[in-house]
Amino acid sequence: MRSIRLEGIKKLYNGEVILENINLTIPSGKFFALLGPSGSGKTTLLRIIAGFEAVDSGKIFLGNQEITHVPINKRRINTVFQNYALFPHFNVFDNVAYSLKLKKLPKEVIEQKVIKILKSVHLEKHIYKSIHQLSGGQQQRVALARAIINEPDVLLLDEPLAALDLKLREKMLLELIDLQSTLKTTFIYVTHDQFEALTVADTMAIMNQDGEIEQVGTPKEIYEFPISTFVAKFVGTTNILKGTLRTSESTPKIELEGLGAFEVAVPASKEWGRDGSMVYLSVRPEKIDISKTPLQGFSNSLTGIVESIVYHGRSTQYNVRLKNETRLHVFEQNEEHFQQEVIDYDNEVYLYWQKENAVLLEK
Amino acid sequence: MKMRIYSLIAKEFPFFLVMPALIWQVLFFYVPLLWIVYLSITHVGAPFFNFTLAHYTGLFEAAFFKIIARSLFLAFVNAVICLLIAYPIAYFAARSPRNWRNFFLFLLILPFWTSFVVHVYAWFYVLDTNGLINSTLLKIGLIKEPLAMVNTLFAVFLVMIYCYLPFMVMPLYSALEKFNWTLLEASMDLGATPAKTFFKITVPMTLPSIKTGFFLVFVPSFGEFVIPALLGGSKKMYVGSLIYHYFLVARDAVTGAAFTCLSSLILVAACLIIAWGFRKIFAGSGGVAQ
Repeated sequence: MRSIRLEGIKKLYNGEVILENINLTIPSGKFFALLGPSGSGKTTLLRIIAGFEAVDSGKIFLGNQEITHVPINKRRINTVFQNYALFPHFNVFDNVAYSLKLKKLPKEVIEQKVIKILKSVHLEKHIYKSIHQLSGGQQQRVALARAIINEPDVLLLDEPLAALDLKLREKMLLELIDLQSTLKTTFIYVTHDQFEALTVADTMAIMNQDGEIEQVGTPKEIYEFPISTFVAKFVGTTNILKGTLRTSESTPKIELEGLGAFEVAVPASKEWGRDGSMVYLSVRPEKIDISKTPLQGFSNSLTGIVESIVYHGRSTQYNVRLKNETRLHVFEQNEEHFQQEVIDYDNEVYLYWQKENAVLLEK
Repeated sequence: MKMRIYSLIAKEFPFFLVMPALIWQVLFFYVPLLWIVYLSITHVGAPFFNFTLAHYTGLFEAAFFKIIARSLFLAFVNAVICLLIAYPIAYFAARSPRNWRNFFLFLLILPFWTSFVVHVYAWFYVLDTNGLINSTLLKIGLIKEPLAMVNTLFAVFLVMIYCYLPFMVMPLYSALEKFNWTLLEASMDLGATPAKTFFKITVPMTLPSIKTGFFLVFVPSFGEFVIPALLGGSKKMYVGSLIYHYFLVARDAVTGAAFTCLSSLILVAACLIIAWGFRKIFAGSGGVAQ
């Protein structure tokens, strides 16, 4: 288990910039997720760490050792591929034993290790089966076993669960977390699925369409305190309101066109938080309370008309049209079988949120 | 209504659909083959089913086996060289961008647009004492005397390889085109060098096509007679030229049939040995050799 440090990584492809000045430290022995939309270059970044792609400039360090020009087979980094890339002409045992056989370990040692690792991924009944006889989930486990048997310093996972169904995916996510905490190997998990990233990651990085890293932090930091509207919108669901910042009065406010002024918590250190600057307010749908009757004790409130209702099971989503024709999404937990107050289409409702639960953003 | 009858036949009696091909195959392959076998084991001029092995006894002489051995050597070396040349070509073509691949295929098929015999004649005029190569080299002064290329083993191999190469490239290309290149990354990721990866992953996975290509070249090369006859000189006999001689020059169909059967049996045996050899070399393709 060692850390990965990227310094000024730049990657061009056919003259087009894929990655631009990537500086990133991936802590040792942690579960790290790299989250981004498709085309953000996250897979390219993973392939650069693995050694499949060369960089146009920049340096890669594994621990304190620079590995920028170390060939793939000499890096103590292993990969779980998106489509598993299992060797179809080998059976399960030979797939998993491949790296050990290359090292020319004694036969008994290989057998012992392979059986042990296959037990840990619950495949002990399938040791001598051919790859074609396995289900997608089982193939996934073989790929995992094959990649960890050599005890790499870093394990790369490229959208490893994309081909599995939802239930299996949730189960595998928990198994991956367990595996990581047992092995203490540095895991780098690439995904476009924010749910997967939030579930597994100790730390995560968000990449944007321009191949830049937008924000690095714990899942909670990313979700609760996104630094841009891109992050706020990409991770979870949010309402973005654009307005003008007013800091002349005792409590800073954001002035929204056609809606009035709302109290905001301005991050003190931000230099862009000046009076009159254009800013964005991000309010998560679950941070807004909805009611047909006025409530007390909230710093901000609004009224609107319920335009549509989407029932999600654990929560209900209300889409509310405001006076200025913008729409706000609101999530309400379905805590009771029979709601006290039934909100229906076309009802006029009051929306409330505390200023501390909304995030003010520059861009 | 007509369509329904066809689909009914196709569904209930799929065998019917192969009938035209089967009839063709039986009439023009199995019947002549059986006829040759029959000829080789029957007394000349005797009534039907009067069997003898007399025609074979004359064949058990060193001269005949030398001819068969020469043909086996030609076929085997040709197939091996074709494989060594074709693999890089097919690999390169399969890894090139998609729109280039069609161009490579086109280049590969191009020679088939003219007759095989024309190719061999063309080579004759290229390699001849007054041919293209010699006259060019003489003109620019690189050589004083014309090189003897026609009527050498070199010429035979050169043209054999030229003619049979596409039959090796085709199956290899079609296998490599479908190849999952991520497997190579996976192999190197797990610590294999590029060379190890090639021999542990690429070759075993394309082995069926290697075998197909090998036999596609090996079997017809064994009976090849146009190329050795035109470019190898008349002194060196091959299986193909001897069979030609018996049937069309000496008019001794019976001995010709016996020799055909004998050499065919040896060819089958050679194929079995080669197939066994392939299995032996890639035994335990289920794992990396210790």
